[in-house]
Amino acid sequence: MIPALVVGHAVSSHSHPSLKGFKMLLCQPLGFEGKPDGSPIVAIDLFGAGLHSKVFVSTDGVGARHLVHDQKSPIRNFIQGVID
Amino acid sequence: MRIAQVIGRVTLSVQDPSYKGGRWLMCNPLEAEHYNTACQTLPPLSAQSSLIAYDSLGAGDGDIVGIVEGAEATAPFDHDIPIDAITVAIFDSLKYEPPVSTSSKH
Repeated sequence: MIPALVVGHAVSSHSHPSLKGFKMLLCQPLGFEGKPDGSPIVAIDLFGAGLHSKVFVSTDGVGARHLVHDQKSPIRNFIQGVID
Repeated sequence: MRIAQVIGRVTLSVQDPSYKGGRWLMCNPLEAEHYNTACQTLPPLSAQSSLIAYDSLGAGDGDIVGIVEGAEATAPFDHDIPIDAITVAIFDSLKYEPPVSTSSKH
């Protein structure tokens, strides 16, 4: 689980079937002292995290596959929670 | 899922039997400042090292794709396959709006 900042979104009409219907948000991983760390990654979003909100992004495929109810889904990053 | 630009294709002459019928793409990870324009105009190559990803979507040169790396890349397959990167999305548009105060690098 990595803390990240929502910095945008991505639109894809041609993706793995298990991703259909999920919003894809660009998340900037935050490292030490909340400084940006590396390039932004794409995570699927269920909670409607708003732009520039701080979130926890999971990097575990097992949880993601349960989330999308598809054991064949290659998804890995999904937003687990929005930090107040 | 990392965002990368497809810069070429790879053809294997000798391969693991489980790769049969596999399609491989050479992908170069994108720098964040090119996210907004990447889907319209071809972004320059980034300094990050390129990688070869298994292609399950039929992406071609110049496409901006989302690549999943790690063991999750083997999830879509019924048989065991030793791969660690697969394309899962071809992006139509990307909107990148870093907050002005903590914008990264630049």
